[in-house]
Amino acid sequence: MNAAGRQRAARVAVTALLLAPAMAIIVFGFVAPLMRLALLSFSAPAGPLAAYRELATVDVYRIVLKNTVVLALVVSAASLVIGFALAFMLTRLEAAWRAIVFACVVLPLWISVLVRTFSWMLILERNGPLNRFVMALGVVDHPLPLLFAFPGVAIGMVHVLLPYAVLPIYAALLRIDPALLRASDGLGASRAATFWRVLLPLSARGLATAATFTFLLSLGFFVTPALLGGPSNTTISMLIDSFVNERLDWPLAAAASMALLAMALATIGIAGRFVPVSALSEVG
Amino acid sequence: MTPAGAWTKALAALLAAAIVIPVLAVAPLAFSEQSFLQLPPKDWSLRWWSAFFADPSWPRALLTSLEVAALSCLLAVTAGTAAALGLPRLGRRMRTLAAGLFLGPLVAPVIVLAVGLYALARSAGLVGSTLGLVLAHTMLALPYVVLNVGVSVAALDPRLAQAASGLGASPWRAFRTVILPAIVPGMLGGGIFAFVTSFDEVVLAVFLAGPNVKTLPVRIWEDVRVEYTPVVAVAATIMIILAIIGSAMARLAARRRA
Repeated sequence: MNAAGRQRAARVAVTALLLAPAMAIIVFGFVAPLMRLALLSFSAPAGPLAAYRELATVDVYRIVLKNTVVLALVVSAASLVIGFALAFMLTRLEAAWRAIVFACVVLPLWISVLVRTFSWMLILERNGPLNRFVMALGVVDHPLPLLFAFPGVAIGMVHVLLPYAVLPIYAALLRIDPALLRASDGLGASRAATFWRVLLPLSARGLATAATFTFLLSLGFFVTPALLGGPSNTTISMLIDSFVNERLDWPLAAAASMALLAMALATIGIAGRFVPVSALSEVG
Repeated sequence: MTPAGAWTKALAALLAAAIVIPVLAVAPLAFSEQSFLQLPPKDWSLRWWSAFFADPSWPRALLTSLEVAALSCLLAVTAGTAAALGLPRLGRRMRTLAAGLFLGPLVAPVIVLAVGLYALARSAGLVGSTLGLVLAHTMLALPYVVLNVGVSVAALDPRLAQAASGLGASPWRAFRTVILPAIVPGMLGGGIFAFVTSFDEVVLAVFLAGPNVKTLPVRIWEDVRVEYTPVVAVAATIMIILAIIGSAMARLAARRRA
């Protein structure tokens, strides 16, 4: 072997050594579990596709599937609207205010979802502070059913998702040249027209990233709906958990996992047509 | 754009409060005198803190959490830093493929990973072991290290390493004196994120924990699902305090990078 060839071989060896530990972790900790589930999903005693057939035909499971998608759509939409408003305010606040509000937006990212959800359980209780507040305002005369019901799950999830909506939208808004907004104003466009025809189209990429992220995360939510929801708010994640831990039905749990994974991949696939997948890693 | 008016400021402050207050609402209850959890507490005491440390299962869970987080942080930083250095050496196609795999744990639903890992760990006898938890959390934390160190590596001028070897430095010496100092902030940032990711994680841990190995979030989860006492508020407050320390350290690391 000549010197150049030896150098090339050494270079390849170093690259392989650098990547090997991470590759091993991903292969054993990520790829292998997914492969195992894929195999398990075809292992139902009644035939290879029996678990999938059961998922698709039993009414309870279809309702859970529908619930999960509806919940994901509702909380993603709410997160996008509130997230856009917050991101827009951030761009207009002066530096000191902006720093404080921004810190408030990202602080929850550091704190365990479990702890945040537990906090919401205490706030949303029948006799909790939120119910006492709306009753003191005279809006209602009896406590609202917030905890163990849809409103509780939706509030808790939007709270968790909000930073994932604000950050990409804020990044997109920062890239807009303020001169364009002034020009729109100066040319006599109403505020609404400036919003719909300038601000919104120019922040479309950030909005698409935020929509993808929030929808993707909300499809797989487990802790928050499990603690804040009632029996009628079961999501597909909770269904998978009960297949494993209560019914001990591995093929069914694996098939439901594959269905959830397919939905997540489809979301990324569709989003990838509008936003480069690398943009998804901009958050954080 | 016109600067923010009083209305915008008020609305922003209101939203910021609506985000932060629910996060911190649990903390006052850790100092409550009452034996049931209700906001706001009426009298103050430290009795629930004594109760936390008097029941051996809580401090043990805290120690397990710290141990698992420290070990998975160490593994993730080592493997992730090496990977971030190795990725740019690959060809374009291989790089996209490998980077996609490394970031996979970020997009896969966590319950799917938990059930899959549980199935594997059962056949490998790793359920209820520290090792199983550490490996699972290393996998989950790896993407954050690869991303953080990747940013530092991308900012590195390749001519620096060339200059070092041109001046006669051995590859190891060039790495130690030129590359390593430049990527340390990325390793620090990624490491803090890895630690907090493991420390906060509950779903994988619930599936992989056993009677003798439980992390703090698993212990909280078990109590919250059945019947909870103000001791849970103490545990939650400890988690909040550690998370805030983590975020402050990350800010310092980010400042060092800038």
